[in-house]
Amino acid sequence: MPDDTAVSIHQLSKSFDDVEVLRDVSLEVAPGEVVTILGASGSGKSTLLRCINWLEQPDRGSIHIAGQRIGVDDAGKRMNARALARVRAQTGMVFQSFNLWPHLNVLHNITEAPVHVMGKSKGEAQTHARELLDKVGLSDKAQAYPGTLSGGQKQRVAIARALAMQPEVMLFDEPTSALDPELVGEVLTVIKDLSAEGYTMVIVTHEMSFARAVSDQVVFLDKGLIIEKAAPATFFDTPSTQRVRDFLKNHH
Amino acid sequence: MNASAWQMLFDGAWTTLWISAVSIAIGVVAGLIIALIRLARIPVIDQILVLYISLARATPLVTLALFIFLSAPTLGFGLDRSVAGILALTINTTAFNAEIWRSGFRNFSRDQREAAMATGMTPWITFRRIMLPQMIITSLPGLINEMSFLIKGSPAIAVIGVVDLTRVTNRISAVTYEPLPPILVACALYMVIIGALVWLQRLAERRANRLAT
Ligand SMILES: Nc1ncnc2c1ncn2[C@@H]1O[C@H](COP(=O)(O)OP(=O)(O)OP(=O)(O)O)[C@@H](O)[C@H]1O
Ligand SMILES: [Mg+2]
Repeated sequence: MPDDTAVSIHQLSKSFDDVEVLRDVSLEVAPGEVVTILGASGSGKSTLLRCINWLEQPDRGSIHIAGQRIGVDDAGKRMNARALARVRAQTGMVFQSFNLWPHLNVLHNITEAPVHVMGKSKGEAQTHARELLDKVGLSDKAQAYPGTLSGGQKQRVAIARALAMQPEVMLFDEPTSALDPELVGEVLTVIKDLSAEGYTMVIVTHEMSFARAVSDQVVFLDKGLIIEKAAPATFFDTPSTQRVRDFLKNHH
Repeated sequence: MNASAWQMLFDGAWTTLWISAVSIAIGVVAGLIIALIRLARIPVIDQILVLYISLARATPLVTLALFIFLSAPTLGFGLDRSVAGILALTINTTAFNAEIWRSGFRNFSRDQREAAMATGMTPWITFRRIMLPQMIITSLPGLINEMSFLIKGSPAIAVIGVVDLTRVTNRISAVTYEPLPPILVACALYMVIIGALVWLQRLAERRANRLAT
């Protein structure tokens, strides 16, 4: 497996109750690359993303994060919880519904994993957290509790929380789908800034113009199969399958 | 009632309080440990715990206290009355608390757990840092409710000779031939204790609701 990829997915398959949700999916993400995953509802986008950090266990195939296999150890056995957690720490995930921890304020949501997973000192973690809050435009919300924030603010905290672990790759599962339309922009702007800074990201989204602007590679999933994989200009202007042409027509 | 009667009443109240408090403290923690073990679904052990919980919940406290007190000598060791009382109350309340904690685990947000795992937290760190602090808040109303039940059920340990707040009223009236005054005072003292718990429970509920929004 090439060690210079951030994420390398090899012939991944996954079924839920006899329904194949992913079929032989292979995908390489280079460091600094932004890959967006498009596809109709139920095509397997979330499942693919959740397999990357092993929130979902694939039935077949392999996934490497920065050269390290996730879920299965060197002896070919299922990883124990500690080893799995160590590889997961190399990935950051942003969920559609934010999933902040309501009992912790914004600052502690961000420092919790660096302190208790990486073993960072509280002071160091808080300094870094404040830099990240600055980056996502929420320096004034460090002491606020999640319950008092708007959706857009929550999602930006969630992004900062994921960034705090300095992951090899950031995974976004429809980060703006749960937001009121007027709050979508502030979150997309943050993600665009991250791409400009060279973060490696895999993004599931329904925002077509955003996907076009931010991606290096667009992947189209149809019933668990990657049927198109192309640079954004090619994908959006000259798609090679009828399926994608229909999809794009319905999303404009 | 004279001064010594009052003194006896307060001693009885104190006995009820400290025996209940020890049982509650052990029972809350032991219930959590049992709920944690049950999460692992270890065969045999899980069945044993299920059996314990249903037996402990079905057995009347009086029966349980008598059984423990009387069976200890046949097993080769005598039990102090208070220790036997604490044991009976603890066995009873632990079973109820285990179920309260278990429903706390069952109802815990899967989304929040996944977010913790995604940052690289192990299941143990996820439990300690993310789940437990919230489960304490959400389970507290139920736990306090069970504490009130325990205290109201605690006169059962009088059957093995512990002189608690209820039993002491008997002793006083045996001397004074006036059964009503001591029992009235005892009622008032129970009401103070349970009232304090109800008040705490309301506070706890308010905190739990705040967390939920
Ligand atoms: N835990 C699960 N158990 C059973 N079936 C599941 C589970 N998760 C997903 N599925 C099914 O797998 C298929 C793919 O789901 P997935 O969530 O990956 O789709 P998606 O492309 O993300 O869709 P959407 O755009 O609606 O989010 C769907 O048919 C879904 O119902
Ligand atoms: Mg999805």
